[in-house]
Parts: sequence; structure tokens; C-alpha cells
Amino acid sequence: MSEFISYLESHWDDLLELGIAHALVVAVSVAIATVIGVALGIATYRTERPRELVLAITGFFLTIPSLALFGLLISPLGLGWPPVAVALVMYALLPIVRNTVVGLREVDPAIVESAQGMGMGRARRLLRIELPLAWPVIMTGMRVSTVIVVGIAAIGAYVNGPGLGEDIFRGLRRIGNPETALNLVLGGLLGIVVLAILFDLVYVLLSRLTTSRGIR
Amino acid sequence: MPALLAAVLLALYLWVGSQTLDSIERARVNLDFILSATSRHVQLTVVSTVLVLLIAIPTGVLLTRSFARRISPPTIAVFNIGVAIPSIGLLALFSVVWDIGFWPAVLALVAYSALPVLRNTMVGLQQVDPTVIESARGMGMSKLGVLARIELPLAVPVILAGVRTALVINVGTAALATFINGGGLGEIIITGIGQNRQLVTVVGAVLTAVLALLIDYLAGLAEDFLRPRGL
Repeated sequence: MSEFISYLESHWDDLLELGIAHALVVAVSVAIATVIGVALGIATYRTERPRELVLAITGFFLTIPSLALFGLLISPLGLGWPPVAVALVMYALLPIVRNTVVGLREVDPAIVESAQGMGMGRARRLLRIELPLAWPVIMTGMRVSTVIVVGIAAIGAYVNGPGLGEDIFRGLRRIGNPETALNLVLGGLLGIVVLAILFDLVYVLLSRLTTSRGIR
Repeated sequence: MPALLAAVLLALYLWVGSQTLDSIERARVNLDFILSATSRHVQLTVVSTVLVLLIAIPTGVLLTRSFARRISPPTIAVFNIGVAIPSIGLLALFSVVWDIGFWPAVLALVAYSALPVLRNTMVGLQQVDPTVIESARGMGMSKLGVLARIELPLAVPVILAGVRTALVINVGTAALATFINGGGLGEIIITGIGQNRQLVTVVGAVLTAVLALLIDYLAGLAEDFLRPRGL
């Protein structure tokens, strides 16, 4: 235990650097997935067939094992950031699309109708009424996606992706030297758990700041 | 779904057949190796899922009994943090502190996929209408009888959903078992990546994805079939 603490003290800056890279690839991927996912949700929440198709396809993505997806993506995209970011976006889609659809469908039709009666057009109803009311549900979807993606990003280190997974794989390669290996693996693993908790706190803060005042 | 997966496999077969393979590629892309890696992969998945059922369902039942009511909220809080532990980190940790090979991989899979089953068992049991339980008790059924004949059957759909999630997690995470010498289809993928043979990578990746989708499909069928009538 004291070994590990002194390891943390001497490798603090490395871990921080990897942690920031990890947080960055996760944040970028979830942000892209949110833009795509909310757009898909808006486009399909009213029509049954397209909605089911979109949910089936994004569910299909989530079923593909991450190592397999990375393997398929490195042929066209090479090693490093690109295959990891693309894979993470694919994995983050389902919870966001599903929650966008659920959130939008849960909006009371009477409210939408009164907005229409007040003379709001389709686009304004969506932007000013429906999306703000669905937003807390959409945020929950983003939160679920983030937890999934933080863990999968660790595997991305095998195809030279950024982040704390690098230390876990370095630990695996030094398995002949248990002490070093344990420090590396434990450092990477705990770093990722801490990162997941920090992301969760950010979401709590973000949902306070961005939820419309009337429904808080 | 099965037709789609068969078409993908056929396309893969035809594509590989049209290529000339070098010795590294032949070592991995041959029927014997593929079959043994697939069967290892299925073993990892099935053994870990069965162990999860044996551990997580009884634990979930115990945690929802009245004597455990106090400790169940903090336990759930701990679980929610547990979800954040990365699968590869868990596998690496088991291999470093214990050993490499099949069993450490299986136990890492169990530790990683037990949470959804445990959580769904608890949620499934907690959502049973208390008045139903009360009327069963009033009819003279014992606590154990109520659990076996009322609560568990009513909770089965939710528990099955958790089991399916665990199965899908396990078949995906089993692809990582190769990093700690646990075998499985991941071995083909990492040979391809490590030796820079795209053909091998693609074969391994497609086979792994097809297996995962097939298992998810079969689990979906089982889910419909096992659901108690009358619900």
C-alpha cells in the first residue's frame, strides 16, 4: 500500500496528463454523440418505423465488442485518436437517442397544443417547449453514455488511443515484475474510476445550470 | 438476424478465400484455430454467466429481505461506483494479483458483469406490489412460499433482462481475455493488430462481432420463451 502511494507521488504528473487526455477523448465523443443522437431523436420520435430502425441500429453498435470494433476501424482510420473517437461515438449513441425519444414523447401534448394555439410554429415549439422539457431526460442519457465510454476508452489504448488505458496495458506487459505491474494497473484503474466520478459531478452541476427554471 | 449473420460469414469466407495468405495469416485464419478460439470464447462467456447467476440472484434476494433493508441502499451506492471500473482494468488486476489464464479471466468477467443481474434482481423484487404479497401471506403462505411462488415469478422479466445484459457484457469482455492468456476470439484480433495483418484483424473482429450478435439474439429468444405466462 505504501509502495503504491509513493508510486502515485512520483508519477503524479504522468497520471494527470493521461487522465486529461482520457477525459478529453470521452468529452469530445459524448459531445459529438449528443449532437448526432439528439438530431436522430428529433427526426424520428414521431414516426414509429424510423424510430425503431434507429434504436435497432444504435443497439446493434452497442452489442459489438469494443476490441472487435477497434479492429474493424483501424483498417480505414489507422491507429490513435480517430478509431477510438469514432468507436466511442458509436457506443454513446443508443442511450442518448433513446432518452431523447422518451423525453420528447413524454411531453404533455396539451402543452404543445397550447403553444401551437399561441401561434408558435413547429421549429419554435421544438426549441422553446419540447426540447427544454425533455432536456433532463436527455442529460440522463448522456450520463449513462459517459460511464460506458469512460471504461471503453481504456481499451482504446491498445490501438494507441489516448488515456489511462495506456498504463493498464503497460502494466500487463510487465507482468513478470509484479510490483511495477500492480502500480501501473492500479494507477490506471483508479484514475478511471476517479474520472467517472468527476464526470458525474460535472453532470450534476450541468443539469442544475441548464435545466429550465420552471421544471427544476 | 440469423440470416444476416450467415450472410456476413459467407461474405467473409469468400473474401478470405480470394486472398493469398502468408504463414502468419495461415497460422490464425484456419478452421481448426478459429473453431478452438470460438469454443474457448463460448466457454468463457457461458461459465462466467452461469457463475454470475449463481452468485448475483441469491445475493439480490437476500438484500431485498426485510432484515437487510438497512444495508441495501448503501450497497446499491457502492454498485453504482463499481460500474465505473473498466473491464480491461479488472482483467489486468486479476492477472497481476492472481495469475494469468482461463480462470482468472472468468472471475474477472464475473466481477464485471454481476452488477446488472444483482441490480435487476433487487429492482424486480422491490417492484412487486406489496398488497399481492400481503394477500398471499393472508392466505397462509409462508415467507419462503411467497418468495418462490409469488415474488420471484413476478420479478422474472426484470431479472431476465439483467441476465441478457450480463451475457452481452461477458461475450464482449471475453474478447479481452486474450490479454491475460485466457484465449478466445480476441487472440485472432490482437495477432492481426500486433503483426500488422489487416486480414487477420478483420477476420477476428467480424467473428467476434457475429458471435456477440448471435448470443444477444438467442438471449432475446430465451427471454421471450422463459417469461412466465400470465404476465
